[in-house]
Amino acid sequence: MQASRARLFKEYKEVQREKAADPDIQLACDDSNIFKWTALIKGPSETPFEGGVFQLAFSVPEQYPLQPPQVRFLTKIFHPNVHFKTGEICLDILKNAWSPAWTLQSVCRAIIALMAHPEPDSPLNCDSGNLLRSGDIRGYQSMARMYTRLAAMSKKG
Amino acid sequence: MEDCTSSSEQDYYCSDQDSLDGIDNDESHVQWVPPKASSCKVITKESLLAAQREDLRRVMDLLSLREHHARTLLIHYRWDVEKLFAVLVEKGRDCLFAGAGVTLVENHDLPSSSTIMCNICIEDVPGADATKMDCGHDFCNNCWTEHFIVKINEGQSKRIRCMAHKCNAICDEAIVRNLVSKRHPDLAEKFDRFLLESYIEDNKMVKWCPSAPHCGNAIRVEDDEFCEVECSCGLQFCFSCLAEAHSPCSCLMWELWTKKCHDESETVNWITVHTKSCPKCHKPVEKNGGCNLVSCICGQAFCWLCGGATGRDHTWSRINGHSCGRYKEDREKKAERAKRDLYRYMHYHNRYKAHTDSFKLESNLKETIREKVSNLERNELRLKDFSWVTNGLYRLFRSRRVLSYSYPFAYYMFGDDLFMDEMTKEEREIKQHLFEDQQQQLEANVEKLSKYIEEPFDQFGENKVMEIRMVVINLSVITDNLCKKMYECIENDLLGSLQFGIHSIAPYQSKGIEKATELSVCWNPKVTNTEKCPTRDYHTNGITKESNRPSGSGSLDESGCSSRKRPRKESTIDLNLPAEVIDRN
Ligand SMILES: [Zn+2]
Ligand SMILES: [Zn+2]
Ligand SMILES: [Zn+2]
Ligand SMILES: [Zn+2]
Ligand SMILES: [Zn+2]
Ligand SMILES: [Zn+2]
Ligand SMILES: [Zn+2]
Repeated sequence: MQASRARLFKEYKEVQREKAADPDIQLACDDSNIFKWTALIKGPSETPFEGGVFQLAFSVPEQYPLQPPQVRFLTKIFHPNVHFKTGEICLDILKNAWSPAWTLQSVCRAIIALMAHPEPDSPLNCDSGNLLRSGDIRGYQSMARMYTRLAAMSKKG
Repeated sequence: MEDCTSSSEQDYYCSDQDSLDGIDNDESHVQWVPPKASSCKVITKESLLAAQREDLRRVMDLLSLREHHARTLLIHYRWDVEKLFAVLVEKGRDCLFAGAGVTLVENHDLPSSSTIMCNICIEDVPGADATKMDCGHDFCNNCWTEHFIVKINEGQSKRIRCMAHKCNAICDEAIVRNLVSKRHPDLAEKFDRFLLESYIEDNKMVKWCPSAPHCGNAIRVEDDEFCEVECSCGLQFCFSCLAEAHSPCSCLMWELWTKKCHDESETVNWITVHTKSCPKCHKPVEKNGGCNLVSCICGQAFCWLCGGATGRDHTWSRINGHSCGRYKEDREKKAERAKRDLYRYMHYHNRYKAHTDSFKLESNLKETIREKVSNLERNELRLKDFSWVTNGLYRLFRSRRVLSYSYPFAYYMFGDDLFMDEMTKEEREIKQHLFEDQQQQLEANVEKLSKYIEEPFDQFGENKVMEIRMVVINLSVITDNLCKKMYECIENDLLGSLQFGIHSIAPYQSKGIEKATELSVCWNPKVTNTEKCPTRDYHTNGITKESNRPSGSGSLDESGCSSRKRPRKESTIDLNLPAEVIDRN
């Protein structure tokens, strides 16, 4: 408990200091609870998510960083490895491949990488996974782009 | 077509369950077979450490490794030393190590005198408060400890990985033990126990004795996992599936059979499926043949499908004046088939159960036989040696057992469940005749043997006793040979010709189920490493202490060395020291 607090505090200071270092990621800690974080990440370019801004919610366990944080998308996203309703993410580093050397910032980076390189073989969103697996790249991209426009772009755009 | 079955005739379908726990281990108490060198070993709580070290030592010696690396390799290869060596020869050292998560760093840099930055807590710590694992990753002791505690509590003691991202290396157990015991001595003990028990839990050739309550022992077999063994606690079991000893049934057959007996016993509703009560006199009536117009012995005819009373005039498709719409032939074939299957099962089951029951009754003979023998001894006959009586009785037990398990075997061997596609119909018939011939011969001789053993020969005159003696000795030899031949036939002609070898059976043991001997361990803590272990190759008996599962290395820190064929240096071993320290002693 003590260790996780100290570590999160370090990460918080690091985030404040390096704010400009990674313009694609904006991490913020809940004012009253250091175990709750949110992040805004930019959809990677040359993907159907380009131009969208996606919100993530982090729930950090007391055993952190020995155990991984729970992360989910708050913004709707059409992606084979993200549950369409709950936003749950299927990513190995958030499960058995977790290493305590990861930080919340590097988890965000891994999620951006996942957006650019979906794994259709471990789908949480079967429709999306099936489109990709059947080779219907255009179908997948147009669906994903549509949801990006609907959910992840500011309304006036 | 008229058949009225009383329900009492069918009663025996319900009692299947008790016949399953049928043949127990009573025969184990009739023991006069001289103990022979056994290839099965009992590993008691006390000898577990020694047994494990034997394998560790082989790997450490061959690959010049430290103990925790040898253990990591062995856990990865499930304690199969031969397999590990095979991989070494085939794929080489690097591949062997990488696959199991063993990282050897050649040049251990000196511990940095200044501070290091721990990547986990993002804190600068003095070099003395940090630990570098074999893989070269360096983190602070605090973070390592927390990591180990989480992993041990998650039950992952056997494979605690390094904390660095994508580092596959398994952490040095000495470091784990050392750091954890500083904060949680009990957890360090738990860690050691996990490591120790891995020798049993991850090992194909070692299994816990299935006794309940548990006797605390494990059994190690030498080269064939298809065997039947007796633990020093007296329990006999099939090493492969841990059920009761069941040869000549294969494990799969036995599993199916137990399940079937259980399921069938629950179909007391056989009666409800196969009989219906007459709408007039309410007696159960069994349907006989394909036609759905059934008649009761009271003369009432009724429709099998709806149970309604009808007249007698009918065709295949309708009964005059009756139109429930269900009078059709459709499900007939299925029902007929199910009935045929059930009769077939009953045939085998009744014989299986009869022999199991005889076995139980004959087990009670032990006492009477002992009495008879002492009576004979008092009679001061010229004949002084009565071993033929006990040998005969023992042979009776053995062959009775074989006989009863031969029925479930035959049920599956010649039935449709398992080998339908493996044999043509003709082939199957020929094989079945061959087998049944043997089975009947065995059956006849076993019954004869049983009859003679039950004779009140202690009341007979000397000549009559001599006569019976000859017969019993002859029958003993004959049944033994017949059993042997039956196993050979099963192994070679029946199971041996099958495409898939999943139906291996434990070989026939004329002497009975092998008793595992205790793995010998020497207990003298003063033995120095130059002395040879004095109990080498001597199978000690009776060092089984109180029977619990091994619990913690704390209770195992007596010095122990074990002996087996492989020659090697014996020395006192202190569990709490890493192997390399012991080596220097
Ligand atoms: Zn640290
Ligand atoms: Zn490492
Ligand atoms: Zn036992
Ligand atoms: Zn078995
Ligand atoms: Zn009737
Ligand atoms: Zn008829
Ligand atoms: Zn009817």
